[in-house]
Amino acid sequence: MPENDPQRLEIANGARTRLALENELSANQARSYVRCLQIGWQVDTIGWNRSDSEGQLADARSLLQAAEIFVEIEGHQSRRAVDCYRRAGELLEWLARSEDDVRTIAPVELLAGAAFQLGGLTAMASGLLGQLDLEEDGPKLFAAFIQGDFDAVLLHTMAFWGQNGDLRAPGSSLRILEEDRDDRLSWYFTVELIRALGLFADSIRRGADDRLAKAAAKLKALDSMAVRTFSDDVSLLISLLRQVAERFTDASIYRSARALGELNPRRMSRLLAFARAQFSRGRGILWSSQRAGLTRLLENSSFALCTPTGSGKTLVANLGLVKELLLRDHGEVVPLALYLVPSRALAGEVEAKLTSELGRDLIITGLYGGADWGITDYWLNADSPTVLIATVEKADALMRYLAPLLLSRLKLLIVDEAHQVLPEDTESGRSDFADHSSRSLRLESFVARLLTQAPDIVRIALTAVAGGAAGPVARWMEGTADASAIGTHYRSTRQVVGVLETASERRSTMLLELMNGQPLYVQGRDDPVYLNLNIPPMAQLPAQMRSSLYRFNQVTVLWTALHLAAAERRILISLAQQPEQTMGWYAESFDLPAWQGLPAFVPPEGRNGELFAEARAACVDYCGSDSYEVRLLDRGIATSHGQMPQRVRRQMVALIDRKICPITVATATLTEGVNLPFDIIFVTSLKRSAYDNVKQQPVITPYTSAEFRNLSGRAGRPGSTRGMEGLTLVALPTTIATTAPGQMQTQRNQMDALRADYAALRENLRRDELADNATLSPLAMLLGELRNKARLYFGHLTDETFLEWLEQIEPGEVSDDAGTGATGDAARLADTIDELDAFVMTALEELSLLDDDLDGAQAEAKLAVLWQNTFTVAAAAQEAWLEDAILRRGRAIIGEIYPDADERRRLYQYGFSPYVGRRFEAIAPAIVDLLAAATEYGLETPEQRLERFEALGELLKEDRGFGFRVRDTVGDSEILDAWTDVLSWWMRAPGGEVPEAGNLRARQRFVADNLEFRLGVAIGAVVAQKWTAGAGDPLAVPSLAEWKATTGLPWFGFWARELLRWGTLDPFVAFALAQGRAKTREEAEALRPAFEEWLGEEIDAPTSEDLIDPQQFLGWERSLPSRERERAKVVPEEAELTGTTGAMKRYNVLPMAGEDEVIWLDASGYELARSPDEFGLYDQSDLANDYVLNAGVQATVRRVFARSRRR
Amino acid sequence: MTLHDCPPPKAALARWLTAYPSEDGSYGHLLLEQDCDCDDDMISDLVPYFESAHADAREFFHEQMGIELHPDADAPEPHITYPTCLPSITRRGLFGEVMAGMLTEGFEYIGKHEWTIPVFLFRFHEDAEAYLFALARDEERKRQVYGRRGSDFIGLALNEDGDIERFIAGEAKWRKKLQPAVVADLMYGEKKKNKETGEREHDGKGIWFQINSDIPAPHGLRQLQRLLREIDPDGYSAAIAKLDRVLVVRNAEPLPRTNLIMISGGDAPSRKSKHPLIPREEVPGNYTAPHDLQVVELILNDGEMLIDGVYDALWAT
Repeated sequence: MPENDPQRLEIANGARTRLALENELSANQARSYVRCLQIGWQVDTIGWNRSDSEGQLADARSLLQAAEIFVEIEGHQSRRAVDCYRRAGELLEWLARSEDDVRTIAPVELLAGAAFQLGGLTAMASGLLGQLDLEEDGPKLFAAFIQGDFDAVLLHTMAFWGQNGDLRAPGSSLRILEEDRDDRLSWYFTVELIRALGLFADSIRRGADDRLAKAAAKLKALDSMAVRTFSDDVSLLISLLRQVAERFTDASIYRSARALGELNPRRMSRLLAFARAQFSRGRGILWSSQRAGLTRLLENSSFALCTPTGSGKTLVANLGLVKELLLRDHGEVVPLALYLVPSRALAGEVEAKLTSELGRDLIITGLYGGADWGITDYWLNADSPTVLIATVEKADALMRYLAPLLLSRLKLLIVDEAHQVLPEDTESGRSDFADHSSRSLRLESFVARLLTQAPDIVRIALTAVAGGAAGPVARWMEGTADASAIGTHYRSTRQVVGVLETASERRSTMLLELMNGQPLYVQGRDDPVYLNLNIPPMAQLPAQMRSSLYRFNQVTVLWTALHLAAAERRILISLAQQPEQTMGWYAESFDLPAWQGLPAFVPPEGRNGELFAEARAACVDYCGSDSYEVRLLDRGIATSHGQMPQRVRRQMVALIDRKICPITVATATLTEGVNLPFDIIFVTSLKRSAYDNVKQQPVITPYTSAEFRNLSGRAGRPGSTRGMEGLTLVALPTTIATTAPGQMQTQRNQMDALRADYAALRENLRRDELADNATLSPLAMLLGELRNKARLYFGHLTDETFLEWLEQIEPGEVSDDAGTGATGDAARLADTIDELDAFVMTALEELSLLDDDLDGAQAEAKLAVLWQNTFTVAAAAQEAWLEDAILRRGRAIIGEIYPDADERRRLYQYGFSPYVGRRFEAIAPAIVDLLAAATEYGLETPEQRLERFEALGELLKEDRGFGFRVRDTVGDSEILDAWTDVLSWWMRAPGGEVPEAGNLRARQRFVADNLEFRLGVAIGAVVAQKWTAGAGDPLAVPSLAEWKATTGLPWFGFWARELLRWGTLDPFVAFALAQGRAKTREEAEALRPAFEEWLGEEIDAPTSEDLIDPQQFLGWERSLPSRERERAKVVPEEAELTGTTGAMKRYNVLPMAGEDEVIWLDASGYELARSPDEFGLYDQSDLANDYVLNAGVQATVRRVFARSRRR
Repeated sequence: MTLHDCPPPKAALARWLTAYPSEDGSYGHLLLEQDCDCDDDMISDLVPYFESAHADAREFFHEQMGIELHPDADAPEPHITYPTCLPSITRRGLFGEVMAGMLTEGFEYIGKHEWTIPVFLFRFHEDAEAYLFALARDEERKRQVYGRRGSDFIGLALNEDGDIERFIAGEAKWRKKLQPAVVADLMYGEKKKNKETGEREHDGKGIWFQINSDIPAPHGLRQLQRLLREIDPDGYSAAIAKLDRVLVVRNAEPLPRTNLIMISGGDAPSRKSKHPLIPREEVPGNYTAPHDLQVVELILNDGEMLIDGVYDALWAT
């Protein structure tokens, strides 16, 4: 090592600490950033002069130099180099976006993009360079290259060869040098650079390493030449191009694909094709977190990958699937992977993505249908490797049905958004236990059981960054105490948090406060950053609308959003609760005279127009034509909330994702884990409130910082949004809205409360940034809650007295209302105990499915193993009594509380917590009877069919434990009383009345909570029980052919849940919607005659059961013309060699359209061959494909890769 | 990779040129007049220095040209060699730069520092830069150029530890005939029409402007440092670290600097022997930079012939 290297590092580090600490801006940097925002928003700017700009440029140069020092001495992976590159990129970006006249000879944007790329901020590089409007061809080409957009690079270079035919001939470059012209060297350099960039782009996406090496060597030589002969800036640009190219080579997905392929050479070509397809999707260059993940994948271990959503972790999961399902030899076993997602919406997204990438290799099925298994579950019998995508609830239900079968095939567990295992440390988080609705506990329980039963499966967790989940999740997944998550440093986007200040009859103002979690000040603490928006102030609202400050505030947000959206910005208005109220306010605002001047929304043309029409039709179908949903959609506003029917929700998501609707109004359920592009998120409230009728007091639940962070994380995906940063603005009124004296004080108080909520949130966010390892776990919190209550109500202070209490206490002893969903303190404690029993008993049953007898000692032993697999142990915060509590409760359950093994088995299969399950068991036979009696359902009238559902519902109506449960409000009680009206509307029974817009959501909530969920669960529990009892063999594979015989039920039993889900009485309609054969229920109904006609030809006299037999539906579907377009066969084209000897036999070529022919070029611009092309079949779009010239006796060209139409 | 390591041909210089040095405080002036005709001996005395100065660039040019991207190419033979292939005008520019190096190493300048040029930067590709951005060969087209170009010439004074004590940077220009108007254009910028007065005036972007307004770490230092890092990172470790300080540390204690202005070219009848083109008695009023200034005037009788003679003789055998 050269003697002075330590000194050089010290110098570089000095610059880093002064200018480039992550998340720490100097005063001048902050000013530069604010100025760039102000200029972008076209508002007044802070004072700034030329020397400020020159200072920033000089700092950027210093940082680039410092980064080089780190790289030279510490290597490419140097964290400190990354810091310097990133900040240099930012400084240059801010100058560029300010349209500053301090320029360099090379466009400063290119230097910024390259610095981002070298700093591992690929998305920032693309975000910046992607929105440039460059004039010159050179910078266009360089920008495409720096972004890693190799398809675009080839478009540019091939256009160049099109214009410079003389340069396509062999030896043409050397001939330039022989010319007698003064500029020959200059021209030669330019031509060679274009050759090298084109060849590099083509070779890296093909994985053609020998040619890639040649291009890289040329780039290096050109760089060496440039540093000696060009100006400092231009040589810097060439040098950055060369360095970026080296990174690309290092980070090419082909490296990982080849390494994986070594595991199973037969699959190598498939892996290479996978890699090529990734390049085609713009994901061929791996991000550092992905590389780290794939390195771990190769090392054959389980791991947690910790990156923000949208940073490419899906790719790691996908290759994990490839490795475990396709590359490994599992002998006779057809392997299975379980992919856990936090929401049904995300299941759909993951399924779509996976299918497009691996649908040809794997069966990919999203288990988010109504039934625990259904007609689409052909994977059970198939002999292809399978990926099941499911929410933990769904996976849990499936396990109760098919555990032995699943466990025998399961090889890989992927847990997406694994940080959701962290419980919410709030009152509502604790009361979730008594409600049996704690998702975090369910996740902990499910995964712990799975790891206990299948300790050898590979597991991969994908998790978000903040909140301290990464460490414990990694330890949980790897099962070792020293595990740590990979990729925690990655922050792919820039997020700004602040306030939208609304005021009566004044312009709104943006106040920017945090950038990437750090305070953003212009100078000192007293000078916050204001952007005074130059959109017109909203006209005074009518007095009745102003009487609510919240209404005024939210309508002002909409007014602001409508104006900002006009500038191509995508906006989310995020609501904490009562979306129907805001939606109503919004729908009414559009009727105001002052709003009539707003431009009308024009739906797009083409495919997007069709999608819009489909979504609107689904909205009309499920919500009614006068609904707020439809009225807002007509204004270009998409809506989404948790109670929306699935079908409408998915279509709304498509409208948002494809940027068809510029504005979205939604509750937080929209953004749970789903990636949607927004530039700005407006938050209208930071808390939810409800009223506890028993305690006669409001229950206020503020946003947790995790919730807020998840929300703000959706803002600003570079590349898909317009700006470089996502803005999350909390709307706060700065004046009251009313002029009525009686309301003024109330509004003043509300205004203060909103401010206080925001202040509290900021403080929480600040603390959260500092948080390292989370130590809270669901199970520990549940036990802590029990212990707390035992002390409070029973005075048990010591470990031992608590454990003794826990060993003997039964829910029914604590409260007569146990298991009924009552909200009194004692009842809640009883239900919390029942929740613990659910955890323990589910584990015991599942761990001993194949054992008959279990005594207390065996139970303890099993639980001791399970305990080691809990997240609680991984979170490393456990105290000794926690484990004791589980073990001793387990022993008590077997010995005293639920001593009957048969009963335990049944309770397990129902899926309720055991105490609730016992109560459910009393009505289960009645449900069975109702299902069994429905043998004529296929022939019945809609009225008769509806009666069957009414009868089922009546069994559940009175019991809050396992039955219907509504909030304790007057409105909800009325809905419960008239629930059959809701049923009739939802199931589209004749005479069912569409609710008024303002009442819609309360009814949707009833449908979602009680018809789809609680009634569905009850039916599912009974059907599962019948199946298991009938099947005998725990490894039996369910099949439609066996279904009736095994369960002893008519097809109605199979369909009931699915019908509740789709809102139809006709199984055929549910089938047609589930299979995507129809977009609305009306459309589906219209298909029925065709089915019946087909059935009449198949069967002489179809019975009632034939009419709803899923096997017949499938048979009918198979008779329809295939929707899959046949893949065009690739026929080699004959070619004539025109620029090659053919000595190399095989050449990579690209097409260039000529006159009646196609010219085949090497990507370096040399012409190699020509083929006739009378019909002009080739154009620029074919440059996205790969072609190979075979120089045999008859030369031919063959397409070896075609870009998928689905990008 | 090669450093420039050939000592200046002092005997030949003494034979060839007559020196008229003068000093005034921090200002040094050196007038050099040609003393004898240029012959083959003179040329062959100069050639080793020129070859040494060009060796590094030559190596990279050849390497670059040696990489032929046609897929059939295996070991192609570039027919041309560097710097022979350079156009005549470029040769003259390079000649000025090499001579600046040779004179800086061979004569005593203001401050009596021992200057060394570890590696020569030759920056002559303004048209190449225009082509690079246009992706088109359009000799007429001038690209609007923002920002500054680097100095023509950079040399270092190293102490015994190899650390940089001071650097010398500046402009080195060759003009065929050094008439007063030509020199004025050089010093004050080319004449352009003033839109208001309609008069033709110097645009103010000449050598004085370049030198006076140069930044503390002139462009070119970064490139020089990169070459040192590539060529001899151990030998120049101390110098490399010092340059890092200059390039990275804001408001670093500036590296002591000497500015060099070297004007070379053919004599003009208007000049009397021993008379300088730029006043030598005291620092010219146009010079406003705080650093030492060394002006060198190299007045030749048959410079054009010498340049072609030297360049044709490089690597001739």
